[in-house]
Amino acid sequence: MSKAGMLYIERDTLFHRLDGAVKLLMLLAWTVIVFLFQDIRVFIVLFIFGIGLLKSAQLPWTRIRLLVWVIIVFNIFNSLFTILVSPAYGSEVNGTTTVLIDLGYEVLTLETVFYILTLSMKYMSLMPISILFVYTTHPTRFAGSLNRLGVPYKIAYAFNIAFRYIPDLKKDFLSISNAMQARGVGMARGEGTIVQRLKHYAAIAIPLVQSSLSRIDTVANAMDLRGFGKHAKRTWYSSSPWGRVDVAVVIICAVVLAISITARVQGFGTFWYPF
Amino acid sequence: MMKQSIFNLDTKTVVAIGIGAALYGLLNWVSIPVAPQTGLRPAIAILTIFGALFGPIVGFLSGAIGHIVFDLSSGTIWWSWVLGSAISGLGMGLVFMSKSFSVKEGRATKGNIATLAIVGSLALVVGFGISSVLDIYLFGEAPDKMLLQFTAASLANITVHVILGVGAVLGLLKVNRSNSNLKVSK
Amino acid sequence: MNKMAESILSFNKFSFQYSSLAEPTLHDICLDIYPGEKILIAGPSGSGKSTLAHCINGLIPFAHKGKISGDYTLKGRCPAEQSIFEISRSVGTIMQDQDSQFIGLTVDEDVAFAFENDCVAPEEMKPRVAEALSMVDMLEHMNQSPHELSGGQKQRVSLAGVMSMDVDILLFDEPLANLDPVSGKHAMKLIEDIHRDSGKTVIIIEHRIEDVLEQPVDRIVVMAEGRIVAVGTPDEILSSNVMKENGLREPLYISALKYAGCELTPGIQPSSLEQLSSNKQVRQTLGEWVKVIDNSSMNSENGSLLELKNVRFAYGEGKEVIKGVSLKIGAGERIALLGNNGAGKTTLSQLLTGMVKPTSGDILLNGESIRQWSIRRRGEQIGYVMQNPNHMITQTMIRDEVGLALRIQGLPQAEITTKVEEVLRICGLYSYRDWPVSALSYGQKKRVTIASILVTEPQLIIVDEPTAGQDFKHYTQFMDFLSRLAEQGVSLLFITHDMHLALEYTERAAVLCNGEIIASGSTASVLTNTEIMNRANLKETSLSMLSRSTEVATPEALVRYFIRYEKQKKQVSEHE
Repeated sequence: MSKAGMLYIERDTLFHRLDGAVKLLMLLAWTVIVFLFQDIRVFIVLFIFGIGLLKSAQLPWTRIRLLVWVIIVFNIFNSLFTILVSPAYGSEVNGTTTVLIDLGYEVLTLETVFYILTLSMKYMSLMPISILFVYTTHPTRFAGSLNRLGVPYKIAYAFNIAFRYIPDLKKDFLSISNAMQARGVGMARGEGTIVQRLKHYAAIAIPLVQSSLSRIDTVANAMDLRGFGKHAKRTWYSSSPWGRVDVAVVIICAVVLAISITARVQGFGTFWYPF
Repeated sequence: MMKQSIFNLDTKTVVAIGIGAALYGLLNWVSIPVAPQTGLRPAIAILTIFGALFGPIVGFLSGAIGHIVFDLSSGTIWWSWVLGSAISGLGMGLVFMSKSFSVKEGRATKGNIATLAIVGSLALVVGFGISSVLDIYLFGEAPDKMLLQFTAASLANITVHVILGVGAVLGLLKVNRSNSNLKVSK
Repeated sequence: MNKMAESILSFNKFSFQYSSLAEPTLHDICLDIYPGEKILIAGPSGSGKSTLAHCINGLIPFAHKGKISGDYTLKGRCPAEQSIFEISRSVGTIMQDQDSQFIGLTVDEDVAFAFENDCVAPEEMKPRVAEALSMVDMLEHMNQSPHELSGGQKQRVSLAGVMSMDVDILLFDEPLANLDPVSGKHAMKLIEDIHRDSGKTVIIIEHRIEDVLEQPVDRIVVMAEGRIVAVGTPDEILSSNVMKENGLREPLYISALKYAGCELTPGIQPSSLEQLSSNKQVRQTLGEWVKVIDNSSMNSENGSLLELKNVRFAYGEGKEVIKGVSLKIGAGERIALLGNNGAGKTTLSQLLTGMVKPTSGDILLNGESIRQWSIRRRGEQIGYVMQNPNHMITQTMIRDEVGLALRIQGLPQAEITTKVEEVLRICGLYSYRDWPVSALSYGQKKRVTIASILVTEPQLIIVDEPTAGQDFKHYTQFMDFLSRLAEQGVSLLFITHDMHLALEYTERAAVLCNGEIIASGSTASVLTNTEIMNRANLKETSLSMLSRSTEVATPEALVRYFIRYEKQKKQVSEHE
């Protein structure tokens, strides 16, 4: 985790220049489209397109590698878990049964295997756009973007405060837990039963929450003294007016979303099984 | 100190939401594994504590924002689970609306604590129950598998809520109880 | 009467009582402050100086409720009838806690905060933000995040944020509290420059008087127990004993001159060390007072308890932060580890407690290597006391907090009770044994944290900035308490950048600079070595400056004699 609590990497590409609110809209539209369908062909198209966009943002592989692995490992576990618990679920969805292996308590079907592939691809198709958003949007732009999309500014500002104080709180947390461990309070694996360890976490919680509460007071004072909440609106230092590219991206998103919804309403895009 | 209306977003409330979200997001990195794909997440206790201290609005928003902030630093935003965290935080905060309950003044009846424990647990079940149902509809996850995962996660979350969360709230209540009638012992 | 009309701030028989408290915190405050003045408001903890600051910036009555009586006007108007936003246009506050005041994610965004709230258009903000940042010399750091800045730099950003609002009054609430000495010196210089160039009214709330007075101040207001006890020019206040009588520390050189029997009057300008030093009478009296004392008996290193052998450390692949540190700590020794922020003091203490492991080198305890020991195992031998007691206290009751480590070790209850009560007696907390921790004062809480460490009978206690957040009176009480512990055989390592503390309470000092120990030896000689002080970016005490400019004795001799004189004085007063 970077120091500001987000993973922004500075570059000068189309994506970095796009307004945060536009990127957020794009992320939302993309997510809705993924939710609409259950068709692996759609996901493959989205995935390949997403990878193309990701390439254009020139993010170094070493920095994003970990997140990619996280999602792959998640998919492997999720798939194995699904096979174990619902090995015939694909048949239920598709209405046909092609037995692959008899597991004893249930049969594993080819439909399920294909269903798992589809599901994994669905998750994978969300990955590039998410990474793109996270790595190309500076945290300072995030709150202003939300506000521009209609989120009340006070709620949007809470995001800023969270980003701002995560590193400080992390420092507090580490120093408190270190001091506790030096007094013999065990929290690591093998240092007491789970309930004991949980209770030891509770011991940290008290000083951590107490110091957070006093921080809430002083930060709120500081904000009041500098006029936070004075007006029904506020401006954002880091925001800039939408350029032609921004408007174009929003229009493209709206059009693609409209087409997708129409297609779905027409009945296209339910679980697709080629065999 | 007078209790403020829960819908009044004054500066202190905004900061409380932000700090609560930061703590929730931060602690989401910690998980004590107990079963495959299930861990005890101490972060849940932050929802208990912030709900009890500041009420349902702060609980709801710190849950939602904290979850988004965590997801932003781990790659993908899982909107369905954002909603689950938010609803849980909201439920944890309901006890705040009782007049006899105030963590800051160290006041609570046994009934309040029971409410916090029970309503909070229910909120965890309902909140993450909704997340699971959404996963079935939005992602097409298998219902049996989701049910199993949901049950395990709910048990883990309720454990953390009751032992760690309610435990910490009891601790804070004791700390804040007015210290009248203290005598210097010989 | 004429002057009254001009005052920018005027308190008249003003009292204030927090709604949560039974007694008023401020009584009968009468004070007029005039435009362009620079005022120092000094007072011990609980004197009401912070409450007065809150009245000036509008947090009272808008954020903290309470009962006001008497009059207070700001630029001729009653602030209570305005809003906190209107007041913040006239009064800009620079708070004590730089991290809480730095709200933005980057420097420029933080400075823009007030503009954003005022709905100023972004393109209009940018030049104004740049202008404010160049005033405090932070323009080149414009895109940095707060975590990349030092405390002093964050404070400059806060100042820029306030300056950008074009206020009339700058209010500094304990600006030195979280800064190391050199940053503090720079901060005071910057405040003076801005005061001179802009002509704004400056109000500084502080109890570190010596550091504030390095730059000119028009008037000092001394507060105690909610009242103003003295108002006057620095020369007037320093000539009197009002500071000492009210639990404040006067500049060390002033104390030395008073011990020597110099008669200080406003006429000889005691606020200026240069003026004083050129005064023949002063030089003569001081010269007759100082005697050279023999120090050959001191400084014999008895058997070493802890030894660091060429310890090196780097975080991951990063730059080395500890570069081959070797250090011996004797049994029952009090030693100061001095160094500026960023010198590696925190890392070194983490190496000792096992929170991080050295990349090379070794740490020996009683001759045995403890490199492989876990945090817990080391914790039984080497206690670590954090700066902020609230970061350490986890239990509700004092008894439980102190006994925590023993309970975890699984000792029988009877033994725990005996040990806890014994430790509470040593720490002067026995009478409070059945109290909740929350009922204690800050200083008492610090004692609880010491007690909870002492209970496992460690051989060495590391105390991180022992006196942070305490005024002179509590500072003295706490340090005297620690000294008594050392007499019972516990070694104490103080991590600090407080030169006075090191001089008064330690025999030996080691100076850390960029991860290396650049000097170690008797505290008085290390701290009077100008070359070392400059290299480590530490600040020379005013005692050594006094000796240098009066040339009556070597700095080391004057410091030694001064410390011994104070100790004897203290013993005499204890006997009485």
